[in-house]
Order: sequence, then structure tokens, then C-alpha cells
Amino acid sequence: MAPSSSAAVLSLLQHHKLDRTLTSVARLTPPVSAPLGYPLLDQRLLGGVPRGQLSEVVGPASSGRTSLAWAALAAATARGEWGALIDTFDRFDPDRAAAAGLVLSRVLWVRGQALSKTHGALDPAWIPGERSVQGPGTLLERTLDRAIKALNLVAQSGVCTMVVLDLIDAPAQALARVPRSTWLRLQRVVEGTEIALLLLAATPVARSAGGLSIQTGVGNQEPGPGTREPGAGSLRMERRGVSHAGPVGTTVRWKGVHDRTRRLGGLSTRVRAASPRGYVGDLPLAIG
Amino acid sequence: MFAVLQASPSTPLDAVVEVAQAFTPRFQVLGPFVLLDVGGLSALFGTPEELGGAMRAACPTCRAVALATRASAALLLACGHEGLTVLAPAAEQAALADLPIDVLIEVTQARLAASAPVAAAPAPSPSAPGTATTLAPSAGWRHPRDTHQAHHTRRPRARTAASADLRQALMALQQCGATLRRWGITRLGGLAALPRPDVHARLGDLGVAWQRLAAGEDDEPLVPWLAEPVFEDLVELEWPIEGFEPLSFVLARVLEPLAARLERADRGAVAIRTALHLTTRQAHVRVIPLPAPMRDPKTLRTLVLLDLESHPPAAAVDRVQVRLEPTPGRVLQWTLFERAQPAPEQVATLMARLTALMGEGRVGSPALVDAWRPGSCAMAPFAPATADGPSRGETGHVRSGDDRGPRAAPAQAALPLAFRRFRLPIPVRVRVDDGRPARLTTDRRGVTGGAIVQAAGPWRTSGEWWATALEREPGVASRESDEHRREAHGWSARDADPRFPGSDAWQGVAALADTVTRVPTRSQPWDRDEWDIAMSDGTVYRLFVEREVGQWFLEGVFD
Repeated sequence: MAPSSSAAVLSLLQHHKLDRTLTSVARLTPPVSAPLGYPLLDQRLLGGVPRGQLSEVVGPASSGRTSLAWAALAAATARGEWGALIDTFDRFDPDRAAAAGLVLSRVLWVRGQALSKTHGALDPAWIPGERSVQGPGTLLERTLDRAIKALNLVAQSGVCTMVVLDLIDAPAQALARVPRSTWLRLQRVVEGTEIALLLLAATPVARSAGGLSIQTGVGNQEPGPGTREPGAGSLRMERRGVSHAGPVGTTVRWKGVHDRTRRLGGLSTRVRAASPRGYVGDLPLAIG
Repeated sequence: MFAVLQASPSTPLDAVVEVAQAFTPRFQVLGPFVLLDVGGLSALFGTPEELGGAMRAACPTCRAVALATRASAALLLACGHEGLTVLAPAAEQAALADLPIDVLIEVTQARLAASAPVAAAPAPSPSAPGTATTLAPSAGWRHPRDTHQAHHTRRPRARTAASADLRQALMALQQCGATLRRWGITRLGGLAALPRPDVHARLGDLGVAWQRLAAGEDDEPLVPWLAEPVFEDLVELEWPIEGFEPLSFVLARVLEPLAARLERADRGAVAIRTALHLTTRQAHVRVIPLPAPMRDPKTLRTLVLLDLESHPPAAAVDRVQVRLEPTPGRVLQWTLFERAQPAPEQVATLMARLTALMGEGRVGSPALVDAWRPGSCAMAPFAPATADGPSRGETGHVRSGDDRGPRAAPAQAALPLAFRRFRLPIPVRVRVDDGRPARLTTDRRGVTGGAIVQAAGPWRTSGEWWATALEREPGVASRESDEHRREAHGWSARDADPRFPGSDAWQGVAALADTVTRVPTRSQPWDRDEWDIAMSDGTVYRLFVEREVGQWFLEGVFD
């Protein structure tokens, strides 16, 4: 193809925002990132969470997912930016977040519904395999729908440059019912902006082609010594002094050896990041 | 030719202004005086004496009406003589020379009072639907210099300083008058006859200004006052409309001309008053205070529509009336070394949309509460324009100007440990071995049960045991408990479950929850032991037991 023809095709693709489908074409603008505030991780991620992209942080419970999101928000607010937290199930704790370094006055907190057990009794959709067919949707679906709509509004406004959507406690069945086009539309909303969109979930949900996927709580392929309990899956168990391993690659650190003086010291976990800009691999991460 | 009307106790200043407006649009209010430029009115009213007679007839209760060729002379004559005073140009100097020194003080005080800043009116509060709300009336008239420099951007500290300057100036006037009396100068003619350099050497700039004033010289030109326009429009509909979509078009038709008028007048709206006259002959009035002066018609229309969606009218609308409360335009000038702030229009629209979506009180900035109760927090308005920047003591980080590189991130050795709080603590069953939790059982989906491999605690915390007996009464406590739970869990009428007709979903939830658990509420005392536990799969929970009833709860999970 002649250079003029290829330039015309490239220009047409760029006009329709389809140039990202060409893997051989170099980016016209240098990638910019929002640092997470953790130097080792930021260095390996080539700067942090990419702006203008949809990234995700996934992993099991107590593996540092929320800590990473708080770190990203704290770093953004410390730089003078404004952050937004779409708290789908109202799990945010401002007291500890302020102690963690978040500038609360620079955080837009959108509180969702705190669903409880009785919601499950009222809403069969919370039970796997069941779904209400009457009305405008189940309570859980409405909660997720509102959270995604709120995320869309925040992203479209451009007020906040670090936007976090917390879907950690959403059942996988409910997330699977969210149309894929929703995430594509969100990615198109933030594309070309300096907004870094971060999705928190227990399992991988969605990320854009230029986004980042960070999996917390990953570890060695070979499980170490320990016991295995029914229902624990591939989780590794061990008791070693005053610490023990939880999810694969996650270790709970305790301070103090005596029962009466012991207190929680933090978590030591490993994260694995997949980035289109390069393989990151596993990284140790100290939390707390 | 200038004329001066002076108000009297029986004739308020507003009436005098109306009289002045009937003669000429070029007038200026200086304290109790209204100074008129009556040049060119001879064709209508004849000689100056006839003009003065007409003005006196129009305002018979005014203290004084004076006409002179210069504004200062007219002001001094109005101060010195009651009734009508019309002087020929040749007789002005002699008439001024006989006036006492005190008129200088009175005229200078009037000029100082006219230039003093005006305190800004408080912003209106949003009204309840269906209630008639009256906005604070506009001043009606404004000084042309009453722009953003003099009115809007002047901070309270600046206003306080200006008031202090005014008091100091008034004291200087009294001192200067006393000095002249000590010199034996009691008439304006004596002051005007003094050599000007010597007056400046002894009395400074004020003495020179007084001497020029005593000679009838004008130091300041007349600055005509302008009428403050009323930004209000009304649309009568041929057929009543019910939906928001046709109402949107009507609002656009009303707001776009109003916004254009605001722009021409260099004004912004600080409040929108929307009055919808319904077919039931009732008025649905909503007043929306705006966080910052704005005049973008799309933004204004969006805010009105979002507010009406949250508070819809009870019947069809047959008349739409919109009034914008104006304020001087704003000038934004921020520092070059900080990040640009989002436009207030953007923030206001975003907050209105989010509030309409999530409900009242569910959107804002988190705020800390000075309380010991675990989980206490509050919601503050999200206002980027007033958000303070992070300080070293607040965040532990140092702000960096470069936000595009990895070096801009604050260096941390370890990430802070986050805590995900269950707003409604999850009741669990716990087996206790040797005084320590050993096994946790729950049927809650998403919560891990099983053996507890490690536990730290207990830490005892209690509070509100000092609450009065009245607050602990069952009725009071239960009502507050319900309100607290509604607030804590964000229940609203929109979540009413169709399977529970006649009651919202919260009643069902509360009934079920009360039969299973007892949750500490805001006014109730709490007394509990907290544990940090690690489950066999590595999940770390905060567990606590209510000591009074022995019920175990999960407070949250560390993540």
C-alpha cells in the first residue's frame, strides 16, 4: 500500500477512533499514567494506572484490592486531583481512609445500597440461579445499575480524574448479566481523557485493551506445606510462627507472640499485573 | 446644571429616587442626597427657577431642593439651606462662602457612605415542593462600579477593612473640622481664601479636598445609577403539559433569553426560582440555590429539570414562570502552580444528576465525625472550589507539581491496610474455646466461615452509656433506630418492593432483622469486645461481640 493511501486509511481510522484496532501503529500520544503511590509497583507498571483506560483490580478477600484502590485515590488527591469512589454496597470507611492518606475533601463518595441478608430474603436474585422476572428488575440489579450509571455520569463530567468502581461484593452471576457493551461504552467515555478508571471486583470483569489488569493474592504455582480445607480450593494453608498464609501468596502478619498482646500487623501479598505495555510479572506487596 | 434632592424623615430615599427618575435618568444617590444632572431640561421645564419649582412641587416633603451650576455647589447648598434654593451662577460663590464648615463634614460623609461596600445577601435555601417562596427583593438600583471587583470577589476580611477605613475617615473629618474651628474658620469662605500649599502642609489631602469643595469645585463626576433589571419570564401554555420532555422545551425557551440578558448585563444567576402554575390552581414553586454564579442556559435547564424530577408537580402545568436572582459576574483567577479546578457548572450538574440517581444524602465528600462510635462518619458537600489542598500533616505526603510521571507519586514503603465496613454488621455464630473465638459459622453469602486460625484481641470499647433515660425509651429509640437504619442503608421510597404493598421494603427488612439480631443504634449505648480474626482461607475480619446480649457480629473485612 502506498504511503499516501496508508496515511489516508490511518487518518480515517483515527477519525472514527478505531486506530487502536491496529496493533502495529504506534501511539500518537505518549501514554500517561496515574501513579499508585507504591514505587516498586509504579516502576514495573511504567507509571501506574493508565489514564483514559479501564483497568481492574481483582482478587480474593483480604488480598489488598481495596488497599490498592485507596492508594491510588490517596496518590491522586495528594497530587491535587479529585477522585471519585462509586461505593456500590456502601463499604467505604472514611475514618480509616483518612488515616490511610486520602484527602477526603477531594473525594467524591457515591454511596450505594448496603445489602444485607434480609435483602436476600426479599430478593431472590441474590440467590444463585434465581431471578425475578417481574418489575423493573431485582434490587441487586437496580443497585448495580445505579452504580454503573453513577460511574458513567462521573466519567462524562470529567470532574474527577481517578474514578474507582467498587464491585467486590457483587455476585459473579449478577456481574455476568451486565452487558459487555456497558464496559465498552465506559471505555469510550474515558478514552482520550486523563481519567483513570479502576474497577474492583472479586473476579475479572472487564478491562480495556490499553488498560491494566492487576490480580492480587497470586502466588507460586506449587502449593507449599500446609493443610487444605474443604471449600478452600487451591488455597494454601500453613502455620509458621505468628503468621500464616491465606489466599495463595497472601500472608497475614501479626505483631506480638502472646495471645493477649497480639494484634494485626498487615498483609503480605503478591500481585500479578497484565499490561499491554509490557509484562509485569509477580510482585511482592506489603500492606499495612 | 445640577440639582440635589435631600430626603427627610417624612420622605424616604426611595421616594426621592422615584422623583429623580421622573425628571432624568442621570442621577446618583449619595447618602441622603440624590444628585441629578438637569442639563438640557430647560426645553421642558423652562428656567432654572421653574425647574426647581417643578421639583419642589413633585417632592414637597423633601428637606431641600437646590440647583447650581456645579454638583459640589448644589450639594453644599442643599446641606446649608432648607427648602428650594436656586442661585444664579454669579451668586454661587457668595452663597457658598456664607455656609458653615459643618456642611463639608456632611457632604463628605455622604460621599464616603456612597462608596462603602454592601454586604452580600445570604443565599436562599431550597424550598419544599408546593410551597410559595419569596426571594429576597433586589436592590432595584445599583452603582455602575458595583461589579465583581467591588461586590462579589470582595471577601469579608476586605469588607471589614473597608468599614474600619470608613470609621477612620469619619474620625479624621471630625478632627479636621475641630482644627478649622480652633483656627477661627467657621465659614466656607474663610477656608477657600487660605493659601492652598499651606492648607496641604497643615491638613494634608483632606484639607485640600475640603478647600476645593468649599470653592465649589467638582472633584468627582456624576456617575449615573443604573436600574437593576429583573430577570424573569413567563410562558402561558395553550394546553397543559405533563411530561418533562415538553417542559424541557418550554424551559429552554424561557431560560435562553434570560441567560442572554444575564450575559449582556455581566451578571450570573445565584438562584433559580421556578414557579409552575398547575391546572389545580396551585403553584409548585422550587428555588434552587446555585453554588456559583452561572448563566449557561443548558446548565440552568438541566438543574431545573433534575430538581423537578426529584420533586415533580402534582398536576399538569399550564404556566411556567422562571426568575433568576442575579449577582455580579465572577472573575476566576487561580494560581498557576496548582491544578485547574473544574467549572462550578460541571460540578453542580454532576451533583444534581447523581443526587437524582442515588437519592438525597448519598452523594458528597466523606467527612469525619468527632465521635468514638465505630463507623461514625458524615457526608459533606463535594465542593472542589473550596476543597483544601493536602497538607503534609493531613496526608503524610508531599505535594508534587508533576503529576504525569512515576516520581510524582508519594513514595510509600507499604500500602495502608484498607477496611471494608459492613454498615449493617453481619450476625454470626462463634464457637469460643478458652475465651477466644475458634470457629465462625454464618449462612451469609460472600462471608467465609470455618476455623479461625488466628485471633487478636479482645479490645473493649463502650460509649453512650451516659445517655439519658428519655433517649432510651423504647418509642424514641425505635423511631431513631429506624431512621438511623434508613440513613445507614440508604433506603428510600423508590426501593419499595411491589410484593409488600402499602409499605416500603425497609419495614420488611426491619421486621426480619429485629427478629434475628439486635443492632446497636445511634442513641443506644454500646459495649463490646472486638477481635481481629484470620480465617482458614486467609480472610481477615473484624469481629465483635455485644456484651450485653452476647451476640457476635462481623464489623468488616480487611482488604
